[in-house]
Amino acid sequence: MRQFFPVEDLARDERFVQTNMAERMKDGRTAIELKESSAKSRGASKRLTPERHDASDAARGLMHGIMVGEIQALEGAGRTAHDFAAGDGTNDTVPFELKLDMARQAWDEARHVEISAKLSDWMGTELGEFAENTVLFEAACSNDPILRLAGVNRALEGLAIDVFTQMKEFGDIAGDPYLEFCEDWMLADEVTHVKMGSDWLRKVTANDPDRRNKALEFQQVVDKLFSFGGARGESPESSFTLAKRFRELAGFTDDEVKTISEMDAEALAERRAAVLRYREKVGADAPA
Amino acid sequence: MSDVTTETPNVTVSPAKFSFVEFDADEIATLVSELAAMLEIANPIRVIVDETTPLAKLSEELDGTGPEATITLHAESGALEDRQHPMSFSVTNASESFGRILLRAHDRLRPDFTDAPEDLDLTLEENAAWDTYCAGRLARLGIRVNQQRWRYNHRNRFGFDDSVDVAFDALWAADDLGWADVVATARG
Repeated sequence: MRQFFPVEDLARDERFVQTNMAERMKDGRTAIELKESSAKSRGASKRLTPERHDASDAARGLMHGIMVGEIQALEGAGRTAHDFAAGDGTNDTVPFELKLDMARQAWDEARHVEISAKLSDWMGTELGEFAENTVLFEAACSNDPILRLAGVNRALEGLAIDVFTQMKEFGDIAGDPYLEFCEDWMLADEVTHVKMGSDWLRKVTANDPDRRNKALEFQQVVDKLFSFGGARGESPESSFTLAKRFRELAGFTDDEVKTISEMDAEALAERRAAVLRYREKVGADAPA
Repeated sequence: MSDVTTETPNVTVSPAKFSFVEFDADEIATLVSELAAMLEIANPIRVIVDETTPLAKLSEELDGTGPEATITLHAESGALEDRQHPMSFSVTNASESFGRILLRAHDRLRPDFTDAPEDLDLTLEENAAWDTYCAGRLARLGIRVNQQRWRYNHRNRFGFDDSVDVAFDALWAADDLGWADVVATARG
């Protein structure tokens, strides 16, 4: 069986259309408020709560993003279980127990894909209705298994913790028992996946501080990418927040959580500046 | 930026040229004209698209209630785009979006809708009830509408239980309601 699968070769049926971050960044539109919102604007906060005027459609879009994210997480964990030989963690090998954890994660993710597909159906979304951003799998394409753990288990699955916490709360407030229950169960799995990544990263790099630093630097790059221009963050402009408590349970230190939070704010500011530059270029005013 | 005006029933679209999305004002004007003809709306129509946001808010307003009253449709670009190919126009999604607010405009021309609040003053529940009523009628007119999407929207506003589904089904199947009937049917 082939090893080291490039993102372009992910198998999908004709219902799915894929995109990537470079394509998404070409979109000069934004939902971010660039100036004071008008008094009559309904639902000025972008936080994904049932109070938003477009709550159900926004939740449908995020749910579809979760579903394709689960497919890519399954592919990422499966690749890591397969791509590296069992060994002591040096010379492109990984401990056999790490492979077992990846296999267990792949099993969890496969179940999450099924749950998410059924939730999408429940919410009135067709599979493939929204473009699939392949950025998540790209974090699983490193040749170093430890960078994959940083990118997939800590950054991607960390993002899943944040998103699932928001969706669980959405289901709770809206009174949707299926959404709340399913997100709660999947959230429990994601905390475990992040914990596995945190533990293995520390264990395998215990005697290799350079490799550990390189992995943590890679994680920061991926984390900033996964902020999606400030879609995650503490600002009311952000759709979902950093789930600090669950991240702590998953092995993130306070400093790490603080760093991610600061990067989310940076990503939002950079997105805002990029949009203003784009508007200047095309000669468009900020919306009234 | 000048508007685009179609040759047939007086539809203008602003902006005439799009910078953020790959939309064509003529195509939008033609689509809205066809939908208006299908819904038997002869009033002049202005379409204003906010192409600077990917959100999908829609609203309509009228400057009167007679046949000469101008209907203004406001659409954020996300309501008209192809969700698989962001920034590209989708006739299917635009038909549903414009169809929905044209039906609302059509309702507002009726005497028994004069007490309906302006769009931005509707409560979230009132908004959802009216959307359900419009989406059901659109589906029967042959416009592609995903009923489950609107059922989920309705449940989010009224609750997740069987009585809400019964009210949803009644609204979905209804025709010729006044505003008070729409609100009462939604409440079950």
